[in-house]
Amino acid sequence: MTKGLLTTSVGSFPKPSYLTRARTQFARGQIGQDELDELGRKATEHWIRLQEEIGIDILVDGEMYRGDMVTYFSEHMQGFKISGLVRSYGNRYYRKPIAVGPVSSNAEMTVDWWKYAQSLTDRPIKGMLTGPYTIADWSFNEYYPSREEFVMDLAAVVHNEAMALQKAGAKYIQIDEPAISTRPDEMEMASRALSIVTDGLDAYTFTHICYGDFVAVYDQLVNLPVDNLDLEMSNSNYYLLDELDKRPTGKGLSMGVTDVHSHVVEDVEQIKTGIMRGLQVFPPDRLFIDPDCGLKTRTEEESVAKLRNMMIAVREVKAEMGIE
Amino acid sequence: MITTVIGNYPKIGPGTKAPSLRGAIGQHDQGKITMEELRRVEDEVTKEVIQEQVDAGIDVVTDGQIRWDDGQTYIAGRINGFSINGLIRYFDSNTYYRHPIAESNLEWTEPILVRDYKFAQEHSSKPVKAVITGPYTLAKLSQRGVYSDLKAMVMDIATALNKEALALQEAGASIIQFDEPAIIMDKDEFPILEEASEAVTQGLTCKTEVCIYFRDVSGLAPRLYQLPFDVIGLDFAWGPANFDLLDGFPEDKELSIGLLDARNTRLEQVDEIVAAVRRVTEHVSLDRLHLSPSCGLDFLPRQNARQKLARLVEGARAAQEALS
Repeated sequence: MTKGLLTTSVGSFPKPSYLTRARTQFARGQIGQDELDELGRKATEHWIRLQEEIGIDILVDGEMYRGDMVTYFSEHMQGFKISGLVRSYGNRYYRKPIAVGPVSSNAEMTVDWWKYAQSLTDRPIKGMLTGPYTIADWSFNEYYPSREEFVMDLAAVVHNEAMALQKAGAKYIQIDEPAISTRPDEMEMASRALSIVTDGLDAYTFTHICYGDFVAVYDQLVNLPVDNLDLEMSNSNYYLLDELDKRPTGKGLSMGVTDVHSHVVEDVEQIKTGIMRGLQVFPPDRLFIDPDCGLKTRTEEESVAKLRNMMIAVREVKAEMGIE
Repeated sequence: MITTVIGNYPKIGPGTKAPSLRGAIGQHDQGKITMEELRRVEDEVTKEVIQEQVDAGIDVVTDGQIRWDDGQTYIAGRINGFSINGLIRYFDSNTYYRHPIAESNLEWTEPILVRDYKFAQEHSSKPVKAVITGPYTLAKLSQRGVYSDLKAMVMDIATALNKEALALQEAGASIIQFDEPAIIMDKDEFPILEEASEAVTQGLTCKTEVCIYFRDVSGLAPRLYQLPFDVIGLDFAWGPANFDLLDGFPEDKELSIGLLDARNTRLEQVDEIVAAVRRVTEHVSLDRLHLSPSCGLDFLPRQNARQKLARLVEGARAAQEALS
C-alpha cells in the first residue's frame, strides 16, 4: 500500500483561560517567570494529549509560551525593543518590535519548549520558527539602512535556532513566512533569506504562507528553499490546486483543509472533497493535511472539533484509496 | 508650504486626558455602556487628536478618523447595498479590515461624514480636511458581489461618493481628499480611475486632493497629474522613486509630499527633510507644496505619531527658511 496523507497542524492552539490570565498577571508583575512557565507546560501537555488522542501524526507544542509569532522572537533577541500599542484591526492592539541595533541571539529561543513537548510523546514534534522576512516586515526598523540588511541578519539568527532544534532531535522544522507573499518585488530577497535559514539542515522543512495572491508569485513560491509548502487552501476553495496541477512541483504540500477564521466546523464530506482534490495533483506521500493556519483565535472546542473532522476525513479517504 | 496629515491618527496612547476609547469600546461590547456614551468618548478623543495636531503646528488637520474601524467599512457600511464580511489583510501591512461586499446595487442614501466634518471643524482653529476613501480603491478593497464588472461597481461608488462630497462641500468643507492607493497594485486599470475621478469630483468647487500612497507612481506619472484634482498627494517614504517622476508636474497644481514615514518609528532628521524638499522644488515651487506623513499615522503608536508631527513642522520650517 502507498503511504502518506500525514496529518499535522500549522502551529498555534488556543490558550486555556488559566494561561491567558497568568500571562496578564505576569505582564503586571504579579507572578514570576517560573509560575508562568509551569502553567505553560501544563497547557502544552494538555494539547499534546489532545493531538495524540485525535490521532495527528506530526504534533506541535501549540505555542503556549508565545504571545505573538513575531514579538516572541524579538523579545528573545538582542537589538530589539518593543513599541507602544499599535492597532491591528477594530479594537485589537499589540506591541510591535523595533530594531534599534544589530539583531542577534546568544540563547536558544524555542529549544527548551521543543524538548519538553517531545519528552511527553513518542510522536514527532515539529520545531516552529518565524522566518526572517516576516519578523522584519512586522517590525519597525530604526537601525538598518535597508530592509535587506535587516532580513539577512535575522536569517542568520533563525538559522542558528533551526540548527539548535535539529541538534536537539527535531526531524521536522517549520519556518513560517506569512508575510512573504505580500510583496512580489521582495520575494527573491525573502527566498534568499530563507535559504540561509535552511542551509545545512537535514530535517524535513516546511514553510507556512498565508494571505496573498499566490498565483502572482507562483514561480518563486514553488522554488522556495524548503521541502514542503504549507498553504491555506480551504478558505480559498482550493483554487491554487489548479495552478499546482498546471505547473507541477516536486515539493511536498501541506494542504489547509479547515478555515481557521470561521466558527463553523466543516463537515467530514466537505473536507474529504478537498483532500480528494489534493490527491488528484499530489501523490499521497507528498500530500500532508492540516488546518489553513494556526488555530489560536478559535475556542478549544472549535479547534478540537475541526481537527477531529479533519482526522475522520483523512481516515476515510485512506481507507477508500488504500493508503496506509 | 503648508503642513498637513493624510487621514487617520492613533486612537489611544499614553499622556492623553480623554477617556480611553479602547476601554469604552470594550465596555460597549459587553453591554456596560450605551452607544450614546461610546459616541461621547469618540467625540472627546476626536477633540483631543485635533488639538494635538493644532498644537504641533499642522496647518490643515483631519478628525483623525477616530470613529472609523478602518478606511473601508466606515464608508461602505453606510452606502446602501454593501454588507460587511470577515477580516482581510490591508494591502501589504500587518493590519486588517472587514471586507465589504456588494449585495445589491450601491446607492448613497444619507450623509456619511457630514456630521463628523462639522464636529471636527467646530473644534478646530485650523481648517479640517475631509477624507474619503476613493471610489476605485473602495471597490478594489471590496468583494464585487452582484457586480460582474469592476468598472460598473467603481462608477456606482463614484456616483455615491460624489453625493457625499457635495454634501461635505455644502457643510463648508474647503478641501476634500480622496484616497486611491489601490491603483498602485493594478496600474493597467488607470483608465477606470480616470473616469471615476471625473465622476466623483463633478460639481465640486472646493479644493480637491487625490492621495496615492504605499508605493511610487512609476508607470502612471505624468498622466496621473492630469486627474481632475487640485492637489496630488504622493508617498516619498515608501516610493522614493517619486523624486524622479516629477517631470511634467503641471504648473497649476499643488503637490503633497508624503515624506515622513508613517509606517516606521524611525524619526527623520531635519536636514533629511530639508534635502528632500529641496529635491522636489527642482520641479514644483515651494508655494505649491504641502508636507505630510506618507500615509495615515494609525500605523504608529500615539507617542511616535506625536513625534512625527513635531518633526514634520520643524522640518517644514527649516525647509522654508533654507529655500525661500
